[in-house]
Amino acid sequence: MDILANLALGFSIALSPYTLMLAVIGCFLGTIIGALPGLGPSNGVAILIPLTFALGLDATSALVLMTAVYYGAMYGGRISSILLNIPGDEPALMTTLDGYPMAKAGRAGDALVLSGVASFVGAFLATLGLIFLAPLLARVAFLFGPAEYFALYLLAFCTLGGMASNNQAKAAIASCIGLAIAMIGVDESSGLPRLTGGNLHLYDGVDFLVAIVGLFAITEVFFFIESHGKHSSLGVKLDKVSIPWKDIIACRWVMLRCSAVGFIAGVLPGAGASLGSFMAYMSEKSIAGEKGGFGTGVAKGIAAPEAGNNAAAGGALVPMLTLGVPGSGTTAVLLALLMTLNITPGPTLFTENPEVVWGLIASLLIANFVLLVMNVPMVKIFVRVLQVPPWVLMPGVTMISFVGIYSLSGSYFDLLLMVGFGVLGYIMRKLDIPTVPVILGILLGGHMETALRRAMLLSDGDWTYLFSSPISIGLWVAAVSGFVAPMFLRNILKKPQRVTD
Amino acid sequence: MKYKKLKVMLLSSLLILGVSGIALAAECIAPANPGGGWDFTCRQIGKVMYDIKAIDKPMQVTNMAGAGGGLAFNHVVAERNEDAELIVAASSATTTRLAQNAYAGMTADQVRFVGSIGADPGVIVVGAKSPFNSLGDLIDAVKANPGGVAFAGGSAVGGFDHLKALMVMQRAGVDDITKVKYISFNAGGDALTQTIGGFTQAMTGDMSEVVGFLKSGDIRVLAVLTEERVPGFDDIPTAKEQGIDVVAVNWRGLYIPKGVSDDTFKMWADRLQQVADSAEWKKVMVDNGLAPFTKVGDDFQSYIDGIVAEVRTMSQKLGVIQ
Amino acid sequence: MQSDRIFGLVATVLALAYIVSANQTQISFLTDPVGPKGFPVLIGIIWALSGMFMVLRPDPQPEWPGLRTFGALAFAVVILIGYAYALKPLGFLLPTAVAAGVLSYQISPNPKHAVLTGIGLSGVLFVIFKYALGLGLVAVPKWLLG
Repeated sequence: MDILANLALGFSIALSPYTLMLAVIGCFLGTIIGALPGLGPSNGVAILIPLTFALGLDATSALVLMTAVYYGAMYGGRISSILLNIPGDEPALMTTLDGYPMAKAGRAGDALVLSGVASFVGAFLATLGLIFLAPLLARVAFLFGPAEYFALYLLAFCTLGGMASNNQAKAAIASCIGLAIAMIGVDESSGLPRLTGGNLHLYDGVDFLVAIVGLFAITEVFFFIESHGKHSSLGVKLDKVSIPWKDIIACRWVMLRCSAVGFIAGVLPGAGASLGSFMAYMSEKSIAGEKGGFGTGVAKGIAAPEAGNNAAAGGALVPMLTLGVPGSGTTAVLLALLMTLNITPGPTLFTENPEVVWGLIASLLIANFVLLVMNVPMVKIFVRVLQVPPWVLMPGVTMISFVGIYSLSGSYFDLLLMVGFGVLGYIMRKLDIPTVPVILGILLGGHMETALRRAMLLSDGDWTYLFSSPISIGLWVAAVSGFVAPMFLRNILKKPQRVTD
Repeated sequence: MKYKKLKVMLLSSLLILGVSGIALAAECIAPANPGGGWDFTCRQIGKVMYDIKAIDKPMQVTNMAGAGGGLAFNHVVAERNEDAELIVAASSATTTRLAQNAYAGMTADQVRFVGSIGADPGVIVVGAKSPFNSLGDLIDAVKANPGGVAFAGGSAVGGFDHLKALMVMQRAGVDDITKVKYISFNAGGDALTQTIGGFTQAMTGDMSEVVGFLKSGDIRVLAVLTEERVPGFDDIPTAKEQGIDVVAVNWRGLYIPKGVSDDTFKMWADRLQQVADSAEWKKVMVDNGLAPFTKVGDDFQSYIDGIVAEVRTMSQKLGVIQ
Repeated sequence: MQSDRIFGLVATVLALAYIVSANQTQISFLTDPVGPKGFPVLIGIIWALSGMFMVLRPDPQPEWPGLRTFGALAFAVVILIGYAYALKPLGFLLPTAVAAGVLSYQISPNPKHAVLTGIGLSGVLFVIFKYALGLGLVAVPKWLLG
């Protein structure tokens, strides 16, 4: 059993007191970040990356810490959904549909515990899925040449873009902006500068962390200034917390089904956690039918999206680790982390850095149990965090972002760039243009170009080479349909709006 | 990123410089950060030299990273030209860069190459399912259709992995080496994966890069670019056996300042020979996947002169340098 | 309607400018069939096409804030830019206190809270960054101390 031996290796790394401590800290920070309105897994992880460098952690430790934050934020996201009717992040949107009504009905504690358990089931099963699926996918990677990689990257843009926006042209613009930014800097193969406008600061290209923190954190500050932080008073009081065994048992099949649905959604490149929770909720809603009472605060309506989005979070790690293609905004941020640590995700990661992969997987399992403990008996601590007023929180987030980016390069230029990305993010979100494709573009642009150039070098400039294998044709078909299909399905699968008081 | 790193390296090396001036014992400069191949060379050779009493004080190792070894090279040429107690770690990357003028105009004859006592052998690899069963098959295929065989490698265009493919093809009588297709990857592992997948037809790299895949049975090593077969890999034929006289190894060796006396040169050559002959060093080599590659003194200097000349001609033909 | 049209137009113009500047890239002697220009130009074309699509088929107008809020946002941007420039010459404490205070006031216009937030955040964050994370921050530059 290779897997057992590998897991043993993983646990031998993850169970060291130091790594364990990092996992616990990461879970704690992550849950707080997820719970705070306006801070989700993406910007939470993004802000913390520069600080991880400041700590001088080695690759494995940094990865353990950040994935613990990632999982923690996925757990924490539900707290503000249920208590404030504000999703901490996009995937938690579906949890507001039944979570908030249930909390208003005086069962806030039950809703929190049930969603915590559902999160655990989803994340746990997804981690198991990752353990079994990832090594297989690593073998599949032998089938991926430059043409296939190019099509795969394209698929990531198409599905993510298709899902993230209601207007394909807008998703395409966002992707192009990201890709265009990725081209800035010295061209790797010729060593000559491109598109820098002669500005020396741009010779190294635009650091993706600058873009991520700008687009996520700084943009959020602008939105808070616009709304004067209206949506932040604690809407529901939480009295006692007990374990609603009856509901948990009643939801057991829902959790299992939704974990599977979420995991599959997560594995699809570019689809990610939002799709996972959406599909989980919608499928359970149609199984339950009219009598199920979805949307009125039923237990199944809470368990379904939470199991779904946490499973998707785990599933999204599969393409990220094995192919280097992130399955969601947050995994894109984690990919950024890996790349900064000089680890190239991809098929060789499993053979060349087994300690990184299996240490990560083992610590995910550990983090999951830690999170269950933190989020069920200790949930009250995190509820208190919600009482931090936005006029303290958002300036704090801004200052941390500034210092984090400043510590990367010590250059004011990066800070200006970050503010610029903040403004861009504000305009884009106002116009309903998704920002995640920008990040994806900056992250994958270089790889995508290299894949294209290698493919053309191999084929002596013959463009048909891009569609010459069954895999690449399949990926192109999937990419095109992933981009086009949402246009037609949009009327059928209309995203449910947030319940309003 | 690259520029930032360079800045940090320059700064840190300046700091180290300030401290290291006081050292009395022999000093070995590793022109890279701790953990790399050059650092390994300094530390292991230094340790064995002290263990076998070739030197009477422990070797002092200084890391001086920057400009791919150029910073250290410049430091030695400009400031330590007559320092008899100084050795510097080098490898084929050093000579490739010197030959390609990547050290800002400095040339290989500004220092003395004193010896090499181990090497990571160059290899030419195909996937297990490849139709090529010998180096001859591969060469015939390139001769028949140069565009049909793409070599993958972990070094940049014009780097050592690229040159390995070219050297072999040139010796085999392929006239226009610019026609030989080479695709550069960020690491040897990626190049191998593509070759196993059949997207590229062959891969050039170092033995240490391919050992994992060799054990798993995914690849076949067509030729190892050494004088003799590598111990531990006795079933892999050399290119020389197959009629292609190319020796391209990533050797691990040392250079010393130009301005030292011939006696000093001989002293270091002797010490290296003692290390090479020691049981301690043989263990170090086995533990780290190195093949024996002992050339010391004038013998080594003439080997280097040959390599530099060959790489320069080849790079000119290729257009990497003017 | 209008917003999308304007954005689409700006995007198209930017994309065309991008294509032009990509075309000015130097080409080295070692080149491949695509070269360093190919991919950027391809991106530029798709970018311009999508921009034009936005001009032709705009979505409904989003809810823009009033002129006063815009003023506030612009001011916030100015403050952040100023903060970026001030961080090095003026040290950490002073610019952070000012910037955090202003942002806090902008989110919730309560002067007392804002002052407390500014001072509190700059102090607490400085301690965390300097002593827990070991970042080389300068509290107050020497020339300010005299």
